[in-house]
Amino acid sequence: MTLRSIGFNSAVLALFALVTSLILAITNDMTFERIAESERKAAERALLEIIPLERHDNDLLMDVHPVPEQYWAMLGLKKGGNIHIARDQGDPVAAIIPAVTQDGYSGAISMIIGINFDGTVAGVRVVEHRETPGLGDKIDLKKSDWILGFNGKSLLNPQQSDWKVKKEGGDFDQFTGATITPRAVVNQILKSLQYFENDRERLLTISAANAALEMEQAAQ
Amino acid sequence: MSETQTTEIASSDAQASEISIAEIIKNGLWNNNPALVQLLGLCPLLAVTGSVVNALGLGLATLMVLIGSNTIVSLIRNHVSDAVRLPAFVVIIAAFVTCAELLMKAYTYELYQILGIFIPLIVTNCAILGRAEAFASKHHVGYAALDGLMMGLGFLLVLVMLGAIRELFGHGTLFASMQLLFGPDASNWVVQPFGDNYSFLIAILPPGAFLVTGLLIAGKNTIDAALKRRADANKERPVKGAKRIRTTGHIS
Amino acid sequence: MAFKQVTSPHAHSAQNTAKVMQLVLLATVPGLIALTWQFGWGSFINIALASVTAVSCEAAIMRMRGRSVSFYLRDYSAVVTAVLLGLALPPLAPWWIVVVGTVFSIVVAKQLYGGLGYNPFNPAMIGYVVLLISFPIQMTTWITPLALLPLGTVHPGLIESLQIVFSGYTPADGVTGATPLDTFKHSSGLLADQIYAREPLFNQAMLAGAGWEWVNLGFLLGGLILLSQRIFTWHGPVGMLAALTLMSLIFWDGGSSSSPGSPLMHLFSGATMMGAFFILTDPVSSAVSNRGRLVFGALIGVLVYVIRAWGNYPDAVAFAVLLANFAAPFIDNYTLPRTYGHVDRRRATEKEDQS
Repeated sequence: MTLRSIGFNSAVLALFALVTSLILAITNDMTFERIAESERKAAERALLEIIPLERHDNDLLMDVHPVPEQYWAMLGLKKGGNIHIARDQGDPVAAIIPAVTQDGYSGAISMIIGINFDGTVAGVRVVEHRETPGLGDKIDLKKSDWILGFNGKSLLNPQQSDWKVKKEGGDFDQFTGATITPRAVVNQILKSLQYFENDRERLLTISAANAALEMEQAAQ
Repeated sequence: MSETQTTEIASSDAQASEISIAEIIKNGLWNNNPALVQLLGLCPLLAVTGSVVNALGLGLATLMVLIGSNTIVSLIRNHVSDAVRLPAFVVIIAAFVTCAELLMKAYTYELYQILGIFIPLIVTNCAILGRAEAFASKHHVGYAALDGLMMGLGFLLVLVMLGAIRELFGHGTLFASMQLLFGPDASNWVVQPFGDNYSFLIAILPPGAFLVTGLLIAGKNTIDAALKRRADANKERPVKGAKRIRTTGHIS
Repeated sequence: MAFKQVTSPHAHSAQNTAKVMQLVLLATVPGLIALTWQFGWGSFINIALASVTAVSCEAAIMRMRGRSVSFYLRDYSAVVTAVLLGLALPPLAPWWIVVVGTVFSIVVAKQLYGGLGYNPFNPAMIGYVVLLISFPIQMTTWITPLALLPLGTVHPGLIESLQIVFSGYTPADGVTGATPLDTFKHSSGLLADQIYAREPLFNQAMLAGAGWEWVNLGFLLGGLILLSQRIFTWHGPVGMLAALTLMSLIFWDGGSSSSPGSPLMHLFSGATMMGAFFILTDPVSSAVSNRGRLVFGALIGVLVYVIRAWGNYPDAVAFAVLLANFAAPFIDNYTLPRTYGHVDRRRATEKEDQS
């Protein structure tokens, strides 16, 4: 008797599992493509904010190159990261470089820094941070447009000695009540620019190779 | 002939459950509100109500799951034995939550990213399993669906109210980033009644969720107490003056 | 012949709540004088503003609750909360900072829990924390201490201070600056000696930071007066100061670049002394027994150090006190004193008749 009821109950549960997995399978199938599309768009959005579509014509998500291990320390990366290169009709436009600084007020600040191949900053976005709300979180574009102040800066503009916050005699604004966070961001951007200066030639070769590959694929 | 029979059955079913439609509506929205009275599902309630759009997103997802699970549970209520009832309910709820998650991922991806873990966590919202167990498994499918709708609405309304209060007092905005849910046209719905620079961070930070929830519950209790006082005042008052009281015979 | 029936204890005390509160108010005077001498009229205005707000809020709530307004105002507890909050807030803070903080202290932290005697948390510290996390900019802008003012300038006078507080115009840049704890925390990468040599905040000071050491000495003096009047026992303050000293000695490491600061700095900077003698001694929200208060104080001392050294905020007395308030009932549970006539201490959760 007991055995029979166990068997019956198992059958009922199995039926449920079957029906629900079927429903899930159908939903998954219906939404699969849209989800992939949404995910791609979301990943691309930050990159496109720095280098808009008018400035390049390649797929930024496809053009991925790992950061060489000798530069990890310079960019503050612990597990490495990927550089995206933007091209316009085969000519290299800019590179988007991941960087992390540990010198923030609380924990790591990770950002992506777009640098044009002429050495100027195309744009910076903070991707993740845990700075104090109301003080240090103004590095986030959602809270303040301070981060846009880096656009167009380079290793020569301002002078390297002026890559500091104003409180320390440099060229960049700090926030009222917070010096540490902007200082950390300024320093890391400076370091990333220096990295780019060192690695520029190699990135150009890679870009040229990829451009050739693209041309070939397009021809086929 | 057969028509009258079915209506008879339906009415007898309603009688057996001893609950009216008006009562279900009133219970879900007010008397037995899942958030303010049963205090169920407080984790998402406190965690995601920093803005109206977040609250609305999670509230809608919960509402959908609640209606769906209540309906299905009611439909199968006579075919599942007690031994496997709970596992079966959990399977149903989990399936609906996963569906909701996939749909949100497909159509409101950014909101999905903001709400993050709290969408899959709808599974653990006690309000849902609670309604399945306490109501849907005992009532006719129409009533069960209505109960799901009303309980879900009650939860959604509290979420949105919390989100609105916290957003308004914390950021000084209302209906910000509604485009995450309603498409690009909604991006200019935002209202800023206190000007650009207003901010009162505690309302947005976790303590604010507790404070505002507490105040909402207090507000509901105050209204209830006032209603009760008025009802008491309207009751028939005993007539003044001497009354003759029968002291002999049977009183039954 | 009928006797008046009175429950024990049959001993009488000359102190009632109003007298105790008045004494506490008096004991804050040395600290207030030090604050006013070193940082100008700001604290004075804070206290006045907070007191007016607190008394109005208390009266309004008492009226709403249908209690006697004059009876509850006469115990001075609202004024004490207001004065403590006013002392803790940065001088010359905008008026609405003071008002919002005081309203939170009195209405939310005190009256919503049931009024004096029922509040699980220290009301003044709740007000302070609400302000600190909501308005970090205003709450971390401190006036430059007297010794560090640029040559030829003085703190704004009373009239000008009032204008600053009420009109919202901010004083010139040289007049505000970071606190010693803040400065020390922000100068990572330098040896402690280098920081002390470089920052005028330290090299113009005797112990622990210009201005701040005087304020702490003032509160220490006031606290000792209260202690001599037996307003509270020594256990809480000693527990906190001892724990703070111990922690800062253990982690001082001679002043390397990652040192969280010397014991002297931690003892005589920030809100240490005010916290030790005026905040954690609040009889309502602290532990009850003497042993319990020792533990309660020590917990605050440890937490203050932990948050100062490795946390997100430069000072931590308010956070530490609130966290310890949470723990107070738990501490009480394990530190119940021996009842007269009983051999062993009982735990609060034990059943009475187990013999």
